Amino acid sequence: MAKILIVDDSKTSRKILRSILEQNGHEIIAEAVNGEDGLNKFKEVQPDLTTMDITMPLMDGLESLQKIREYDRKAKVIMVTAAGQKTKMVDAIKYGASEFLAKPYEAIQIIEIINKVLV
Amino acid sequence: MFGLYFGHYLVDKNKISQSQFNDLMQQHHKIRAKLGFIAVSEKLLTAKQSEEINEIQKKMDRRFGDIAIEKGYLLQEEVTYLLNQQGNSYLRFVQLFTEQNILSIDEIETYLEEYKKDNKFSNAEIEALKSGDIDRIIPVFVNADTPFTNECISLAIRNVIRFINSEVLLQKAFTVNDYSFDGLASQQMIGDHKIFVGIAGKDKALLEIASPFAKEHFTILDEDAFDSICEFINCTNGLFASKLSHEDIQIDMTPPEYYTNQRLVSAGDIYIVPIIINGEQADIVVAVNVEVGIN
Repeated sequence: MAKILIVDDSKTSRKILRSILEQNGHEIIAEAVNGEDGLNKFKEVQPDLTTMDITMPLMDGLESLQKIREYDRKAKVIMVTAAGQKTKMVDAIKYGASEFLAKPYEAIQIIEIINKVLV
Repeated sequence: MFGLYFGHYLVDKNKISQSQFNDLMQQHHKIRAKLGFIAVSEKLLTAKQSEEINEIQKKMDRRFGDIAIEKGYLLQEEVTYLLNQQGNSYLRFVQLFTEQNILSIDEIETYLEEYKKDNKFSNAEIEALKSGDIDRIIPVFVNADTPFTNECISLAIRNVIRFINSEVLLQKAFTVNDYSFDGLASQQMIGDHKIFVGIAGKDKALLEIASPFAKEHFTILDEDAFDSICEFINCTNGLFASKLSHEDIQIDMTPPEYYTNQRLVSAGDIYIVPIIINGEQADIVVAVNVEVGIN
């Protein structure tokens, strides 16, 4: 079981993800509604793993990822986003994302990726 | 899917009742069209030949197609074609009409001709609708000025069918420069192309999209319901952006937003594709490479 932070501006998206992760035994220790909120919550709750959307207001997911990784080089961040363009994936990997998952996804996909990242 | 279109038309024209249509809609998922019925509908057999084969089948355990070939009524290729038509939604619908003595085949053909005239459909368009193939059906309703715009609109329609409701009814798309709406969830994409995609409608129609996507029953169109529609549009546009990136076309998605009781204005074409979900009309709104103002 991992302690997970969900960063996504969509309440619907957070709710769907929370439901899948909790059903699979993980604990959602915090939710954040944009990149800046995500960075602050990360520092506050120190999650085992963070799921991060990209397209968000105020601070997007790529900038938040960069700042989280500057703060903690070992931070595990999975990008869970509809913005599935190649350039975004390349940037995310460059900034230290552990994995990249495109929305819409099946429950099994996110669980497999989380298990892989947590090993 | 064509059964859905034609069935609605028959209800509107008082040829069948709403309850008959609802019953047929429920039943038609559970049956497969009979080979003899399809063969007669497609005029490959006469009704008499079909009945003759049915009589033979009562006496011996043999397949309809095998008997038809043996008697020289059908070729193997024709039987293969008929077998492929057994899942066809339109044929299943028509079979139910006739079996339940709601309408005869002759009446159906007459009404089908009227449906075609009333909607100004060509023979090819009617055949596309009857096929049940969404790739053939969408162009009947959407004919934008560029393949790129068509592709963008088509993907949005496919995703409504995939994630929201498989029995969505399309209406002919049209263009406007000024569009007033009660509610609108939308997203802009910028980069190599500038794309605006939204879904607009009255509260009831938008709830038909919000609830199934979030898997939550919304009763009012509040912030959460709009959020669900915004996320649906975000996922749809993400799939489109992802596809474009494989063609080396780069676009960035901006955060989706929602608005109430305003209007869209543009010097260029705004495409409106009306979709009917459970009797409620929402509009897919798409504009490509034109400025769209909201005020």
